Formats: sequence, C-alpha cells, structure tokens
Amino acid sequence: MYDEIQEIKAQYPRTRSAVLPALRIAQQRYGWLTPDALREVADALDETPAFCQSVASFYDMFHLAPVGRRLVEVCTNISCALVGAQQVLEAFEQELGIRAGETTDDGQVTLRALECAGGCGWGTVVAVDHRYREPVRPEDVPAIVQEVRDGG
Amino acid sequence: MAASEIVLAGAADRDLTQIDAYREVGGYATLDRARGMGPQAVLDELLTADIKGRGGAGFPMGRKASFIPKPGQNPNPTYLTVNADESEPGTFKDREIMLRVPHRLIEGCLITAHAIGSRNVFIYIRGEYLREFEIIRAALEQAHGAGLMGDVTIVLHRGAGAYICGEETALLESLEGERGQPRTKPPFPAIAGLYASPTLINNVETIATVPAIVEHGGAWYADQGTEGSRGTRVFSLSGNVRRGGNYELELGTTLRDLIYHHGGGLPGSRRIKAIIPGGSSVPVLTADDIDTPLTFEAMADKGTFLGSGAVIVIDDRCCMVQLGLRVAQFYMHESCGKCTPCREGTRWMVQILRKIEDGRAEQAELDLLLDVCDRILGKCLCPLGDAAAMPIASYVDKFRAEFQAHIDAGGCPYKGESSLERVFAPVDQHTHHPTVEVPA
Amino acid sequence: MPELVTLTIDDREVQVPKGTGLVETAMGAGIEIPVFCYEPRLGPAVGACRMCLVEIEGMPKLQAGCTMTAQDGLVVRTAATSDKAAQGQNATLEFLLLNHPLDCPVCDKGGECPLQDLTFRYGPGTTRMVFPKRTFDKPIPISPTIALDRERCILCYRCTRFSEGVAEDHQLVPRNRGAQTLITTFEEEPYRAPFSGNVIELCPVGALTSTQYRFEARPWEIQNVPTVCTMCPVGCNVTVTTREGKVKRILSRNHPEVDQGWLCDKGRFAFSHLRAEDRVTQPLRRVRRRGFATISWEEALDETERVLRGAGGRIVTALSGSETIEHAYGLAKLLRTGLGAHSAVLPEETDVAIDAFRLPLSAIRGAELIVVVGDDPVAERAPVVDLWLKLARRGGAEVVTIGAAGSVLTAPGSAAQTCRELAGSGSELGRRLRESERAILIWSSPGGHGGAEIAALAGELGFAGKPGSGAFHLPATPNGRGVADAWAAASDDEGPNPEPIAVLVVSGDEAASDPHVRALAERAETVIAIVMFERVALGWADLVLPGTSYLERDGTAMNLEGRLQRLRRAAIPPVADELSWLSQLAARFGVDVSPYPAPVFEELAGTVYGGLTLGELGERAALAERAQIPAPAPDPDTEPARPSDGHYLNLLPYRPLFAGAAVERVPELQFQRPAAEVELSWDDAQRRGISSGDEVLVRSNGTSATLRARLNRRLLPGVVRIADEHARDLHATVEVTKP
Ligand SMILES: Cc1cc2nc3c(=O)[nH]c(=O)nc-3n(C[C@H](O)[C@H](O)[C@H](O)COP(=O)(O)O)c2cc1C
Ligand code: SF4
Ligand code: FES
Repeated sequence: MYDEIQEIKAQYPRTRSAVLPALRIAQQRYGWLTPDALREVADALDETPAFCQSVASFYDMFHLAPVGRRLVEVCTNISCALVGAQQVLEAFEQELGIRAGETTDDGQVTLRALECAGGCGWGTVVAVDHRYREPVRPEDVPAIVQEVRDGG
Repeated sequence: MAASEIVLAGAADRDLTQIDAYREVGGYATLDRARGMGPQAVLDELLTADIKGRGGAGFPMGRKASFIPKPGQNPNPTYLTVNADESEPGTFKDREIMLRVPHRLIEGCLITAHAIGSRNVFIYIRGEYLREFEIIRAALEQAHGAGLMGDVTIVLHRGAGAYICGEETALLESLEGERGQPRTKPPFPAIAGLYASPTLINNVETIATVPAIVEHGGAWYADQGTEGSRGTRVFSLSGNVRRGGNYELELGTTLRDLIYHHGGGLPGSRRIKAIIPGGSSVPVLTADDIDTPLTFEAMADKGTFLGSGAVIVIDDRCCMVQLGLRVAQFYMHESCGKCTPCREGTRWMVQILRKIEDGRAEQAELDLLLDVCDRILGKCLCPLGDAAAMPIASYVDKFRAEFQAHIDAGGCPYKGESSLERVFAPVDQHTHHPTVEVPA
Repeated sequence: MPELVTLTIDDREVQVPKGTGLVETAMGAGIEIPVFCYEPRLGPAVGACRMCLVEIEGMPKLQAGCTMTAQDGLVVRTAATSDKAAQGQNATLEFLLLNHPLDCPVCDKGGECPLQDLTFRYGPGTTRMVFPKRTFDKPIPISPTIALDRERCILCYRCTRFSEGVAEDHQLVPRNRGAQTLITTFEEEPYRAPFSGNVIELCPVGALTSTQYRFEARPWEIQNVPTVCTMCPVGCNVTVTTREGKVKRILSRNHPEVDQGWLCDKGRFAFSHLRAEDRVTQPLRRVRRRGFATISWEEALDETERVLRGAGGRIVTALSGSETIEHAYGLAKLLRTGLGAHSAVLPEETDVAIDAFRLPLSAIRGAELIVVVGDDPVAERAPVVDLWLKLARRGGAEVVTIGAAGSVLTAPGSAAQTCRELAGSGSELGRRLRESERAILIWSSPGGHGGAEIAALAGELGFAGKPGSGAFHLPATPNGRGVADAWAAASDDEGPNPEPIAVLVVSGDEAASDPHVRALAERAETVIAIVMFERVALGWADLVLPGTSYLERDGTAMNLEGRLQRLRRAAIPPVADELSWLSQLAARFGVDVSPYPAPVFEELAGTVYGGLTLGELGERAALAERAQIPAPAPDPDTEPARPSDGHYLNLLPYRPLFAGAAVERVPELQFQRPAAEVELSWDDAQRRGISSGDEVLVRSNGTSATLRARLNRRLLPGVVRIADEHARDLHATVEVTKP
C-alpha cells in the first residue's frame, strides 16, 4: 500500500492531494478505515492519523466503523422519494431484516439511505456497491437481495 | 429536439464513448483547429458565445476564463478544474454527458486548457459516480493513445461523498486533500485557486459545450436560445412525470413543453402542484407558472433560478411540509459545519419543520421558521445556507395554507397519504461518532 | 512607507496603511467589530463564525469584517450604526447559543469569556430554542492537561487551526461534518504535542480548559503578575495568575519579538513543581548514608560558614544556568571575592561573538533562507523557536536543517564541520547564504563551542554588514549567558582548579542532576547543594540549602537572543529567598551583597551591561543593538562520529524538552515525557526485521537497555536516537537486536 500511495502522490503538485485516493485504497483493503488502516495511510502520506481520520469523517463514502461486505444504498432524496423511494427502502429493510443504517447479523450487507444519487429521472435509484440500478420498484427488491446474497 | 442537441449531439445513434465513433462525428477536429488558433482567439469565441455556466450560478464562462492571468502575469502554473461533482438533488445531466459523450468533455478540457494556457487539468468527479469514472478513465486512455494530449495532463480525481464539494472553493480544498470546506472569497479562484494558483473552474456541461462553440463559432452559438440565455441546456426532468430523463433543449423552451411534450406529462390523473425549476436549492414555482420559459431571465422574474437545470415536478399528493422537511434534512446533512448560520440554522430548521409536520407546533413557530430562514439568508460563508433557506421560505410563502393546516389540525392533513410520508433521510442514520445526538 | 488609505467606519473617517485588517482598523478608531474565529496569528482569516458581519456600502450582502482589509473609500457600518449589521450579529449569537449550555456560573471561562460578553452586548435576551440541545459526554480529557467540553464548543476552529497551521502537529482535528462536527484527537489518544496548551488560551469559550485551573479561581479573585518564563533559553513573556499567593495558571503575555503569544507546555503547565511534595523548605543536614535532618537557618549558616572557611579556597562551584543574574552574582561575589574560589562549572557557554549577528527571534519570520545546523531538534532545545521556523516556512522561506535527522543528513556531531563547509567556497548553500539579504543561521546542537562556531560562520558569510541576516545559538540552559556574565563580573581574578576538592557548591536542581556534577561530587569532601527538591540531593549532598523557582524570584535573565528580561515574583516562596541568605552569609566574610535584586543588578550592570537599570527593561524588554565584535576563530579540533559500519550504530542521545527535576514533579506532564523508545532509520530497522512498536535490545559494551522501536523515515541510517534519560549508561556505539 505504501508504494501504491507514493505513485498516486506523484500525480499531484502537493502530496496531500492524494489523501482521498489513499483512503479509498485502504478502505478497499480493510473493508473500513480501521485505526491501523488510518495509521498506515498517514505513514504513507507523511501526515498524522488524526488528520486522515478528520478528512475521512467529512465524506460519506468512508466508513469509520465496520460495515458489511456489500453495501446497498437507496436514494431517498426528493425526486426518488416522490416516486416511492420509501417503499423501496422499506422493502429492503423487510427483506434484509435490518433498518437503514444497519448491517445484517452475518456481516454481509449494510443498508443505508443515500442523498441524491444523480439518477432522479429514473427513480428510485439503488446502488449496490456503487453500481446503480435504476429504476427500482419495491417488487424488484427480493431479487436484488438474492443477487447480493449470492455474491452477484 | 435532436436538431438542437449540441452537447449530446450524435449520441442517440452511436456509441460515442469510443474514440473512433467520436471522430466519425467530427470529434477532436476542433481541438486541432483550436490549437492552431491563438489562445486569445479561442477566448474570443467563448466571449462571443456568451455561454453562462451550467453548474448553477450562471456566470458567463468566457468572462471567467478572461480573468485568468495571461502567461507571465503570474509566476504560478494555471489550472483548469472541471466540476463533475454533480450532487444537487434533481440533477443528473453531467452524469449523462460523461456516460455518453466523454470525449466531448475531454476535447472541451483540452481546448479550454489551451485557451487559458494551462497544462494541468483536474476533473473532480463525484465519488458515487463509479461507472462514469470508469468511462472517463477509458476515454482518457484512448485520447492518450491517440496522442491528443499534447503537453496537457488530465487527472481524474474522485470525490468521496460530500455535496458541498460541488461548491467551487470547497472542491479546491477537497482536491488539495482537505476537508471540503469552502473558502472565503476574495481571492477568487481565477487569481488564487488550486494550490494558490490561477484556476478556472467550470461545470462538465459548460466544458462539453466548448468544442461546438469553437467549431461553429461563438456567433453561431449565441444565435440559439434567448438574449439572456444563449444556446441549449441539458435539462434533467424528474419527479412525478411519465418520462423522466435528460433533454437537451434550446433555452427558452417552456416548462410546459418540457414537462408535457418531452416528459409525457404526469402519470395517472395527477395534477401539478409545484415545480422546482433548477434543483432543490431554488425557490419553488406553482402550477400557474407552467408557461414560464426556461431561461435565466424568466426565472429571475419569477423570483427563482434556473440553477442546474433540474426540473422536479411535484404532484398534488405531496405534502409541502414533508417536502420542506426532506429538503432541509438534505442541507443539514450536507452543511460542511464551517460557518455558524448554516451549521446551526439548518439543524434548527429541521427541528421546527419536524414539529410542524408532527402537528406539535404553535402558531409562532411558523413565523420562527421564516425568521430562521431570514437569519441564514445572506449571512453564510458560501451559498449552501441560502440554498437551504430560500426553498423552504418559498414553500411557506406559496403554500402557507398547508403549513397553517398542520398547526390548526394538529397533524398532517394528508393523513399518511402523502407521497413523501415517513421518508427516511440519511441524516437520521449515520454518524461517525456515537456520542453525537441527531435531532429528535 | 505603505500607502495610506482613508475609509469611513460608522461615519468616522479613519486613515491607515492600505491592507490593514478591518477589525484592527476599526479597533484603532475605538470601534468594535466583534469576532470569534478571527485570530491573525492563526493565518489568513477564515470567516467561519460570522460574528463580525458588517454592512459595506455598495455591497448588497453583509460581509465578514474579519476577511476584509482597509481600502480607500470603503464605507463600513457596524452594528452601532447599521440595523442590518446588528441583525446579523444578533442572528449569529442566537445560532451560537442554540446549543450552548447555560452553565456560565460553573464554567471556568465565566467572567473572562468573549461569548458571555458579546451575548451581553449584542445577543438576544431570550431563547427561542425549545428543542433538546446537542449533548455530549463532558468534560472529557483530551490530555492530562486539557479538558474538552464539547457542548460549550462554538466550532470556531481556532484550536484545530492552531494545531494544523501554527504548531503543525495535526493532532487536534475536527471530525464529522455539519452540525455533527466535533473537536477530537485520533482514537481518543491524548493530544501530545509540545504546544498543546495554547489552545486553552485560544478557545473563546469554556470548551477547552486547563485541568490544572478547573474550578480553582474566579476572575475577580485572581491577581496577574507579568514575568518571564525561564524554563528554556527563549524566555517567553508570561502572565502568572495567582490566587491567595498560589500560582494557578500561566498565560502568555505576547512579546511580539520573542514568543508572539505562544507558550510551550513546559512553560505553561510545569508550575505545580512549586508545590512538589519533596520541596525543601528548611535547610537539611545529611545524617546516615541516605537521610537528612532538618536544621535551623542559624545552624545552616554557621555550618556553611564553617565548611567554606575550612576549605582553604579549594572550592568548586557548579551553576545551573537557571539562576537569575542577581543570584548568580551574589553567589559569585561571596565565593570569589570572599573566599578566592574562582573555580566553577559554568553552564554551556554562548560566545559573545554571536552578539555581532544579533536579531530578534521575530526576524526569522521575515527571512528567506534559514539554515539550522546540529543534531538536536529545535523544539527540544528552544521550543518557541520551532514555531518561528514553521511560520517562516509557511511564509515561503526555505528552511534547511543539517543534522542526523535533518533535511540534509550528516553524521552525528558534524555541526562544526558543517559550518566549516558552508563557509568554504565549494558550498552552494553557503553561496546562497552569502548572497541573501535575509538569511539566518541557527546552531542546535550540544557543546559550548556552538555560539563561536555559528558566529564564525556568520562572519565568514558577511552577515555583519547585513542587518537582515543573523545568527542564533540555542544554548542548553535558560540563562547561561546571564549567569556567566554575573560570574565574570564578580571578579577578574583566576585561580587553579583545586585538587582535591574540599567543597563543591551546587547551585540549582539542574546542576545537581547533571551526571558530570555528580562525578565531581564523588571527589569532593563536602557538598553543599542549593536545591528545591529533596530527592535531587538525597544520598550525596552533605548540606542542603533551600532553593526557589523562577516564579518566586525578582531579577533578570538573558535569553538566547541576548535580551535582558525582567522576572517578577509571582508567588511568595515557602523559604527564604537565595539573595537574602546569601547576603547574610557574605557579610560573615566581609563581602557586601544586597538582599534585594535591584541594587545587585545595578552593581553588576555597571560593569557588564553599560549601566542599565532594572526600570529600563520594562515589561516587554527591547533587544540591544548589535555589538561590534570580531568573529572568533573556529575551534579546530571537533570531530564528528565515525560513520556506522552497519552493524554497530551511532547513538545520538538528546535532551528532551519535557525533562528535568521540575517536569518530573508535575503529574499532568508525565505523558509528555519521551517513552522508553529508540528511534531507528527505516533502513536499519528493515535490515534487522524490526517494525515500529517492537521491543528491542540496545546494547553497548557491557550495558544494555530494552526499548521500544520507533521508525523514523528522516533519520540518517546508522544512527539511533534515544532520549538521554533512557540512554543513561549506553556508549557511543550500540547494537540493536530483536530479542
Ligand atoms: C453548495 C453548492 C453546490 C454546488 N454543486 C455544484 C455541482 O455539483 N456541480 C457544479 O458544476 N457546480 C456546482 N456548484 C456551482 C459551483 O460553485 C460553480 O459555480 C460552478 O462549478 C462553476 O462552473 P460553471 O460556471 O461552468 O457553472 C455548486 C455551488 C454550491 C454553492
Ligand atoms: S473547542 Fe474552543 S477553540 Fe476549539 S472549536 Fe470549539 S470553541 Fe473553538
Ligand atoms: S470573526 Fe469574522 S467570521 Fe469569525
């Protein structure tokens, strides 16, 4: 990871610019930004872990607590909400047996609501590991959950 | 329609993500021409075209580019930064541009870089846009392979989930590796932007328009649209319409045309209750405004903005208090926390709106809500606070009776039938820290 | 001369140099633009809190006054004359108070709180907030010295901006976003950095408070004494808050040329050593091998007189370099003129030649090229100098550090050689130093010859003729120069080094803790120690006379710039002041020493300081002009360590800032002391399969220590760094292995 981050650093006039990509790499490797992962990033960037954590905590896509292996996100901003996002979210809650913001007991899936995903014309937008499915209706949910559980 | 397409031209029947296909429709030819012209000549075309920025603020692009110091006037390098952080609720046009005409964006970058004497381009792309990132990256590789880059490097920089990073100075902070909190202006980015160097920041759509302007000439471009709003825009249509999606139309097209002709009208027998004409940050219009042309000036006449060109249609099932609450929750979630009125005010707005929606509010609290909006308005460090206060104030203004009904009846008059009933907002779920309390 | 501009604030015409901050401009005209986040020492204004909103003619929106500068023709209206501005300020205060607890009666900041004051002046009378406020666990310690009450925090980001942009320790940070933002450290680890305490002073509310000061006093019960910190050679100007004669806290007193209003944590927090449980409050006489018995002052003076008379002049005096000039002079006069005892162990010397290149520390900020030579980190020797260097670097200056962990790596102990090279014709850096009009040299290494070396280099580089260029020597002790001056002023005579030593007089706890002094004591028949702490003298001193702390003294000290500064007694010592009993003792030998510092200073200033009087020093002492002194010849025989052969590593011990008898007696400062660690270069660690945090064995001929490894990517391969307290018995070359 150290070397990988050095390469990214070289793309920018100032090395600190590499912090977001570096955090992304660490998160990919460890699943979430564990204290040790943050220490590793900090070392590679010559920053402090506190700085890295401070930056990470500003952005929604970084996880500072454990999450499931798969991430299901449902946009509930107004365009999607107007066409039934809440029903889609609730279908996921039902199907997964968890509330939005939670992770299944087996640690496989985390479900969360998302601010506008940028697919408003094709609501409701659901992102599975950041791959968009649009539009999704409540009746599509069981199949998506099955697919996620099956590793698709 | 298709005839008026400039940004998305040619993408309907071809896969323009491939460089060969893009070249078949004349792609990258303009780049060669532009490089043969002096930078000032390119700038002049942009000035003549009089294109206003497509990101939301609507500042004339040519003028902004002319603020960039000329070579020798500033010892620092000049940067071009493309704002691809598209996150304004209702907006999804930049995404479509990146997915379907990535090379037009790249060509626009290279021409603009030439015009302002920049050799370093950064495209700051929204973190959630994974496929778009992959497509741009692939397109960049093709452009590289084709030897089109000259001495310019384009770095594709991914965001990580923060609406505020769409604000240009927050974007620069984020790109520099900081928390994405806006800076005070002046200095403006054109003088001291990225790494304290002269920086031009433009929206994806703005940049993707540049090749056509240079190809056909600024005058040609300025001929389209209206005097105050030249050219076309890719409008994002969403909400309660049959055919949501992006429509590139000449500016001046009416809302009616967009919603009914292109969007197929509302599903079922629903009626329009409200229209948000430029993304969630702008004051709302009502059904009576349906014939308003989609131009900067017409929207200004109506006390609102064309913003990011995102038109959200709201039908009569929607409770406006719930809408206000959901919009306020969004801005609370996205407030960067730097300045006081925005950080504290958005949270307070959410609390008051929730109370109104729940039917627990007293009469005075409706006025308090407006006063809080007023106390945010015009006092924040960046426009995000205004973006929260303006729409909410407009909901109360235009639909006061509905707010009043919540107070009078001690509850929501929609009795659970509103389309936004119970809608769950991210602000209620996530926190990185267990001791933070989220609002009741 | 900067261009003057004329602007109007609240209908008053004001003229200031162009670019002056609007807040300062208004203040100069007696108009307040209230602020929270604005603090020019933290860098450019951020405009975050919105407290300073003002109306500017021609601008539709209110503007953050703190982000504006004076421009010709500007018409500004503050809350005093603009309803709109008043509404803006009222709005900001209402927002700030929404979630702020109303616990002023139990808040340490109460009575000296800008939020309280501004609320009183501009704020809403009642609250319209009926919702539950944001709540947090509180107060939480963010370190043993600092408590954080997040509910009181108004998120002005002063503290985090200090951490990031002034101290550059990047440890105190904001976490989360928006209304959920909070101030924190990484994983609740303590905020461990040399300047952490400044955030307490910066915090405009009671969110960051001193654990030492919590509930200790109310603003109307306290007294503030202006004095100077002499815990290190910088000599920061401080205000000492006392209540009922006891020191409760130390705040900065901003000498813009010396400290710019910053203090290190040693200076700020170490004062509780005054109340150490082993503080010597009575003279002691040794009984048995490891014990003392209390004796009366009369007995003590008799005994001292007897011992000194019996020594036949075979007396050696060891000085700490932390005495006031007056104490040192009193002692010197007694011993030298009264007893002919001229032999002394003086603190690490600073050569007077450096005075030809004298500059205020603040000149560092304006320099364009700064070269620091030596192996010691500047922050360990003279902490605030490090902040000046950081400020200079942020302002665009190039700072080159040359040493075993520098930006240019050299073998340990090469500082003198480095100077020689920089003076030579082949050095590119030397050439640039020579050509620059604003270059600064700093010596940061142990060894008394540093002042002469760096002065010689400055001379070679032609700094004498350049008022913008200068040189600093960072000595090991706070007042070494003053003490040496005082010793010299007392007598011109010299004497041979006595052998054997009949009496060793040890002045101060630092000298008493010095291994070299201890070695001398082994050879002395009788040891008289003047110390504050009993344990320091236990087992080797025969007679102990109580010492005082700098906070209990009146007098003067000379800092590393060569600036004479005035100390004022903040706390009454629990023991007789040194001068008072020295005066009595001296009288027994027919020597006249005044018991008061002013006449003592006058007497010696006549000889060494050109007749300066105490009164002339003032509260913020000025720096004397550059002296015309020919540069000395460099010391020819200094030799750097031989490069390591790969197996054996060169040990580089350093003296940490957080060390010494006083620090050891402050429980809250223990976490700041260096861990039992050995710093290894990346290469050496890799080769030995050692990672950070591993326990390793450090061995040298016959001695060994088990320490935790820490990897330092900046350290020269072949070198290991260990704080001297953990390197005690190790020799110059060591082996490091994984057990
Ligand atoms: C809160 C906020 C969010 C914004 N988000 C975006 C965005 O996502 N994309 C964008 O292009 N501009 C956004 N803007 C506008 C930018 O600040 C800036 O005006 C724009 O990128 C300039 O490009 P243009 O002149 O081509 O429109 C946002 C502004 C604000 C205040
Ligand atoms: S703790 Fe104090 S200094 Fe830090 S942000 Fe809060 S109010 Fe400001
Ligand atoms: S003092 Fe100006 S915004 Fe804080």
